[in-house]
Amino acid sequence: MQVEVITFGLIADITGKKTFQMQAHDLDELKSLLLVKFPDLQDKHYAIAVNREFVTGNVEFPDHAEVALLPPFSGG
Amino acid sequence: MDMTNDKFKNIFIQGAIPPDFISQSLKKHSTKTDIGAHSIFLGQVRSDTIDGKIVSEIEYTAYEEMALSKMHEIREEIFKKYPLICMHIYHSLGLVRSGEISLFVFTSSKHRKSAIAACEEIVERIKAELPIWGKEKMEDNSQQWKINS
Repeated sequence: MQVEVITFGLIADITGKKTFQMQAHDLDELKSLLLVKFPDLQDKHYAIAVNREFVTGNVEFPDHAEVALLPPFSGG
Repeated sequence: MDMTNDKFKNIFIQGAIPPDFISQSLKKHSTKTDIGAHSIFLGQVRSDTIDGKIVSEIEYTAYEEMALSKMHEIREEIFKKYPLICMHIYHSLGLVRSGEISLFVFTSSKHRKSAIAACEEIVERIKAELPIWGKEKMEDNSQQWKINS
């Protein structure tokens, strides 16, 4: 399944690009692929949103999922 | 102001929020004579000193679609919780220099307590729940991602 990964803040600095495509069926698979591609993500904290909703635990991706990697917020 | 999403009210302003914008916003409420209290929060970019370096500006980025959808939820919940007449929220994107305003929260109600409590709760929720990031830029051109206290 192709997913669109979108990154922000410190996480975007590590991946070097703000958006990119990956192939994964679920979140656990995507997370391990991301760690192979970007080992510096290992010790970083980030929340994950699938189609703009926060998710915890593993989830299967719907078609054309937008998966956002969100480091701790610092608005205001 | 550009609407980045048709579904939800936009809160984002490019660059600093001008003091004139704040006074104009206040002025617009003079016809709403059922209002007895306004509460206004203004967040100003502070020149923190970090490892001996001084912050000269903050560059804000956001996951805009999600931030607007989350802000919509917060807005609905606050309106349910407090008897507010009006609520206006603006947050900067892009560069805001120290001393300039980056967050403007404005609540109005018949009586002060609900306006004050709602305003405070909105500010806390914006900082905790909206996917917005600030990058602190130092006077020596180095930079680092801001951490909210």
